[in-house]
Amino acid sequence: MNTVSVVIPVKDGERYLRELLDALAREGVDETLVIDSGSSDRSCEIARAAGVELLEIAPDEFGHGRTRNLGAERASGELICFLTQDATPCPGWLAAYREAFALDQRVGAAYGPHLARAGTSPMIARELGEFFAGFSPDGGPALQREGDASFLSNVNACYSRACWEEIRFRDVGYSEDQAFGADMLAAGWIKVYQPAAAVLHAHDYGPVEFMRRYFDEYRGLRESTGHVEPFAVSETARQVLRELGADRRWMAEHGMSGAERTLWSARSLTHHAGRRVFSAAGSRAERIPAPVRGRLSLERRDGVAADPGSNGASPVPPAKHIVKMLDAEVYDPVLRLWRNRPAPLLEPVPGMAERERLRLAMVIPPFSRGSGGHNTLFQIFSRLEQRGHACSVWLADYHGYARDVWPAVLRREINEYFAPFQGPVYKGFEHWQGADVAIATGWQTVHAMLELDQCRARAYVVNDHEPEFYPSATERELAADTYRYDLHCIAASPWLRDRLVELYDTSAEAFQLGVDHDVYRPRPVERRPDTVIYYARHATPRRAVPIGLMALAELKRRRPDVRIVLFGTGDGLHASFPYEHIDVLSPEQLSWLYSEATVGLCLSLTNFSLMPQEMLACGLPCVELAGVSAESIFGSDGPLELAQLDPDRIADAMERLLTDSAEWERRSREGIDAVAAHTWDRATDEVEAGLRHALRERELALRA
Amino acid sequence: MADETEIEQLRSRVAALEAELVEVQARANAAVAEWQERAYWLDRWHLDLNAAMRRPGASEFRTVVRALRSVLWTLRRIKRGLSAS
Repeated sequence: MNTVSVVIPVKDGERYLRELLDALAREGVDETLVIDSGSSDRSCEIARAAGVELLEIAPDEFGHGRTRNLGAERASGELICFLTQDATPCPGWLAAYREAFALDQRVGAAYGPHLARAGTSPMIARELGEFFAGFSPDGGPALQREGDASFLSNVNACYSRACWEEIRFRDVGYSEDQAFGADMLAAGWIKVYQPAAAVLHAHDYGPVEFMRRYFDEYRGLRESTGHVEPFAVSETARQVLRELGADRRWMAEHGMSGAERTLWSARSLTHHAGRRVFSAAGSRAERIPAPVRGRLSLERRDGVAADPGSNGASPVPPAKHIVKMLDAEVYDPVLRLWRNRPAPLLEPVPGMAERERLRLAMVIPPFSRGSGGHNTLFQIFSRLEQRGHACSVWLADYHGYARDVWPAVLRREINEYFAPFQGPVYKGFEHWQGADVAIATGWQTVHAMLELDQCRARAYVVNDHEPEFYPSATERELAADTYRYDLHCIAASPWLRDRLVELYDTSAEAFQLGVDHDVYRPRPVERRPDTVIYYARHATPRRAVPIGLMALAELKRRRPDVRIVLFGTGDGLHASFPYEHIDVLSPEQLSWLYSEATVGLCLSLTNFSLMPQEMLACGLPCVELAGVSAESIFGSDGPLELAQLDPDRIADAMERLLTDSAEWERRSREGIDAVAAHTWDRATDEVEAGLRHALRERELALRA
Repeated sequence: MADETEIEQLRSRVAALEAELVEVQARANAAVAEWQERAYWLDRWHLDLNAAMRRPGASEFRTVVRALRSVLWTLRRIKRGLSAS
């Protein structure tokens, strides 16, 4: 059985002290320590007569948290109870606390109700009853964990020594118990409300004393937890009337006479109104001049915690407790991988790279309609599935973007937004079944994918050099980290392949982005002579939209009659020229837009994207940036009109296509011819070859 | 020679088992996908029927619905009987 020490801070507490010590003797506590901070009454004499340990400290040494820490240090019990000098334990109090600590190993503290003494005012008696009943609707002990109410009261509380040693009371002027309650829950301890561990207790002051006490309480609460009591006149009036009504009902239920009810109703009104005002004032005490503050305080304390020397409190402003909001940090899979390294791969099986059908599991980041990268992935994965491979899709969602989207909906969206996919779609990896090749498809998927076991090989379909999407940031570093795990990379252009090999010395090969020629083809619509369309996706920094807008502004200055259409983004893009705007379009709609425009403008500061090819497939000459990735696909004098990263040069390129019809004809014709061979079937061939290469590398490693 | 034959037989066996594994995986994928297709509207509306049926009163609610259904069916039978006669 746990040994129990009781610590009672005392100052002029003779009124109930003897009764309290007698009750403790009756309960059979193992040790009682009275800490007196300068009583001028008979408190010390009563303690000595009761035969309990008495520790006398100077009044200025007292602090609610500090003195209780001192008591806990001096006491020897495994459980340490704190009582105030006017709280008398009811029969069964000690056994009830022992029972509370037996409920769970992580119980760090327990507290019991405060019962009104005879003669307590109706307002206090009612509130005490209702307040504590709220913690235990069924009347039994209630376990409280992080996220539950942090209320804890040292009028009547009991702590396990281990919990107290870990948390300790803060050295605050007031509400050290509330701060402890919040701290212990945040640290993972459990708190128990034990209705059977009751004490008789009441602070029945006169009306003015009550108000001043609330001032002190809420000032303490602000200092320990940062709480600021809200205050609005109309709401306060409503609350006061509500409380008055509740008090009157309580008085009626307890058989008080009409005269008594009238008298106490007036008192109730004063009490509740004063309480609201003084609570609000107390939690804003730092705004009140010190002399006024001192007069409002029952303890005559005119300082605030931030004032150096005030009760020895720290000048650091009160910290606010923030409850846990996540089960794990956002990049927890990264940390786990760094600690544990990738899961081991299965032994390779000879000939597996050549097997007709493979088990392929593609891990994807969250997506939205119009995502070019996901379109590429699913155009290819859909075709791999059609070729007989057993395909599944797994969503890795670090940030919870798809938190509210359930798997069947994700699956339907993939089919609706991108390409037909017959296989299953999973969120997370709870049901992971292994694969011949696990395929990462974006930097956010790699760390999670490397943790997956039961795989024969791993590969990484790389749509772009993603570290370049970010400034100096965690994401930039984590994205770069994904190329350092010897994953075989299948890159979406020769430029990208070369960049991966050059920067990370990784194994890589390239595939050619495809075009859906059934959709992207010249449509039977008259081509306009004056229209420049611009993919102005300003939410994507690599699209260099400010440069594009400057180029269009220059073009508009030179040729005021040119019609400019911005698409692929929401409206509201600020420009120094008038333009027309079209939101995000479907592939079908885009093909018609490309078929009637004169010039397309689509810039990428990193890897080549689908859009210029799709424009070319519709016979629309397109201007792209020179010196990045486009040359690796079409050469420097191919169907694309390439321009340096300079608004004037880009404007030159667009103007040339608008004015030189022979050049326009050549680009248009060559564009259609050049992308005719760019099909998704070809892209699928290349990616499939890459996946088999990853398997073959495993076989070679085994032979070596 | 005997060793080579045995190795060849083992390779064939491994290949057959691997093919079987792919087939089993493909069937499992198809079954899950079919279930996901059927569960689309439940997932769309965030309805977990197992969780809903674990809630207090759910089985009582089900009993009431079944009782009402039984009454309805009885009334229909009677109506059909009356119409036939």
